[in-house]
Amino acid sequence: MSEFIKTIFHVDMDAFFVSVEELFDPSLKGKAVVVGGQRDERGVVSAASYEARKFGVHSAMPLRTAAKHCPHAIFVDGHPERYRQCSEKVYEVLNSFSPQVEMASIDEAYLDMTGTERLHGPPLRAAQRLHDKMKLATQLNCSIGIGTSRLIAKVSSARAKPNGVLWIMPGQEAKFLAPLDVRDIPGVGKVMEQDLHQLGVYRVGDLAALQENVLEDRFGKWGMALAGKARGEDAGGWFDSEVGADTDPKSISHEHTYNDDTADSEQLESTLMRLSEMVGRRLRENGLHARTIQLKLRYQDFTTITRAHSLAEPTQLDIEIFEQVRTLFRNNWHKAAKVRLLGVHVSGFKGHSGQIELLDSTLHERWNKALTTADRLRDKFGESSISLAAGMKGGFRERTHENPAGLPGKGRSEK
Amino acid sequence: MPVEMATATGTATMEITVSKFELLRELTATQGVVERKTTIPILSNYLFEAGGDKLVLTATDLDLSLRTSCNAKVKKEGSCTIPARKLHDYVKLLPDADITIKLLENHWVSIRCGRSNTKMVGMARSNFPSLPVFPTAGVVKIPAQVLREMISKTGFAIANEESRYTLNGALMVLKPESITMVATDGHRLAHIERSGEKFDGVSGEMKTLIPKKAMDELKSLVDSTEAESIEFARDESTLYFRIGPRLLTSRQLTGQFPNFEAVLPKDNNKLVTVRGEELSAAIQRVAQFADERSRAVRFRLEKGELKISASSTETGESEDTIETAYNGDALTVGFNAVYLLDFLKASGNGDVRLELKDPQSAGQLRPGDSEEYKYRYIVMPMRI
Repeated sequence: MSEFIKTIFHVDMDAFFVSVEELFDPSLKGKAVVVGGQRDERGVVSAASYEARKFGVHSAMPLRTAAKHCPHAIFVDGHPERYRQCSEKVYEVLNSFSPQVEMASIDEAYLDMTGTERLHGPPLRAAQRLHDKMKLATQLNCSIGIGTSRLIAKVSSARAKPNGVLWIMPGQEAKFLAPLDVRDIPGVGKVMEQDLHQLGVYRVGDLAALQENVLEDRFGKWGMALAGKARGEDAGGWFDSEVGADTDPKSISHEHTYNDDTADSEQLESTLMRLSEMVGRRLRENGLHARTIQLKLRYQDFTTITRAHSLAEPTQLDIEIFEQVRTLFRNNWHKAAKVRLLGVHVSGFKGHSGQIELLDSTLHERWNKALTTADRLRDKFGESSISLAAGMKGGFRERTHENPAGLPGKGRSEK
Repeated sequence: MPVEMATATGTATMEITVSKFELLRELTATQGVVERKTTIPILSNYLFEAGGDKLVLTATDLDLSLRTSCNAKVKKEGSCTIPARKLHDYVKLLPDADITIKLLENHWVSIRCGRSNTKMVGMARSNFPSLPVFPTAGVVKIPAQVLREMISKTGFAIANEESRYTLNGALMVLKPESITMVATDGHRLAHIERSGEKFDGVSGEMKTLIPKKAMDELKSLVDSTEAESIEFARDESTLYFRIGPRLLTSRQLTGQFPNFEAVLPKDNNKLVTVRGEELSAAIQRVAQFADERSRAVRFRLEKGELKISASSTETGESEDTIETAYNGDALTVGFNAVYLLDFLKASGNGDVRLELKDPQSAGQLRPGDSEEYKYRYIVMPMRI
């Protein structure tokens, strides 16, 4: 029987971005810190220290709002490269504990620890060792949730914060979940919450008490999954897959919000070049070719349009992505209208059809070689070490956000 | 206030009578040029100009314009604009009789035919963009039949990718005694040349990039004309084609057409001749089982036969064999079935010569019996 019970760890770094910033500037320690940009800038909070959170600051909140809530907070720009470097160190530590590691985002991971008792001891002892080793190797705190499913591990790590370990022993799942708010179940958002409230369901226990077919009638397949989740099982969508299973991204995108809205076509196209470059980089990292290229354009008044085009032949070259996006942009941008945000989004991942180019075959190969070399330089010296000249004017500080596609432990690029 | 209103409508007039048959013919011929989804409303309108004993109709989408005319009894000279699609749809439904068109106040236009009476909402004529004027010098005459042939044999190879704008048209090269047309989408290239014509007014080499939309329009105009020859001219920004009473003008594509001569195969040494119909039928059958997206079919050239096959995990596999007189080394090479069928359809019945080299190099296809025209089709293989 015991071989069917899984032991899953969810390791979540505590206030990751803030903690990393503290490593570089120890004077920040214990203070209200907001990462993501300056107090008067556009954009949103990437992370807030526990001190700042006390004042109601949370991630995804506009920076200017955060400044109102917490005027004494110290605002620091995000440093994506620092976070990536630290994230890699985190991954190394985790990888030394289990071969099945899946980074769910830049600062959290699932580990399948099933069957490692002889090596690491019982779950709590293993967690303690992992915790210590993490601190030693990265100087960062993390919280660890342990359960028989990803769901339980994820929910319990949130309860273990900060800097704690929580183990929900097998058989105790439903009891653990019952008093929690339905919103605490991963995948239940605002809308689902309201729907559940209408059914009189507020706590996970209420949910578990419902007949499964009531949920199925109301929510279809999702209802069935929800019933399973209420019992602490991994059910539905991504939660069904094994930890560390190859879950390729379905799409890759990068966006940029201007600090000052602009109608300068040169600058706008330059930004598109830069974004195409970032997207191309991620495609190559994951060994993917994209067929559908999409432009996202938000004007000053927040009207937003998306326009997409499908290529005859999927690509992973920056320059081809850019050509498409630029065409979409030129065809759809109302000239002189100021732009607030631009985004480049690619999807429709397919293998290359094998069609050989007639005119640009050597050009294609040259681009391929040049970009592969550029990628290697970036691996070594950082993302901004090299870029295409056309994107220079569009250069901007990369915003920090979760981008599972580019993380170690995800995708095929893993060495 | 009343005074201002009176002057706003001005004294514009126009009153004509045309036959439904003639008007409809010209409306139909110009529909392709009318902009369908436009942010500039005037471009969805025709410009009607009446003078002498003619009605001149103009449609434009700013890139492409078509001006044509029909006989009319002009009672009052003048001009007006009328919504193009609606007019076409309406005139189609009228009986075969004379139609009287009259400009009313506020740009409204009255259309009367027998007992049918309609008033359409037009727009001010002054909003209609002014169009380039056919040059008086440097006009080249091209036989209609030659242009018809060349367009039908190259037009299909023009790139559909809007972003590759230099491939978004066909290249026409005029020399004093020859005309060449080339089109490519970056994977295949169609090339046709005709010598032995005389082109007065051409000295040296005259290269013109004709946009895809202009090619499509030109094709339908050339296909439907009885005129013997087409008058072609150009200035810095515009191309002009006069086909009988119709004048097509197109904005020129800027940019360089790729150096296609560099990719024409020179040392393809595996040559085999097959019947075009037979090859086409075999490819069509086999391609039913090709991968739906890549459309890849496999050619296996062996002594005495050409095997064509395709397979996909979803549908199965299929093979056709064609007997040939081939006696050289064996070769396996993949092609996109669609590209091959495009050529076979355009080249018509008769023998086709396949000239291949290796699995990575361009293959060349030619009709076996091209005397008047030198027609060749270059297609890149697929890695299979």
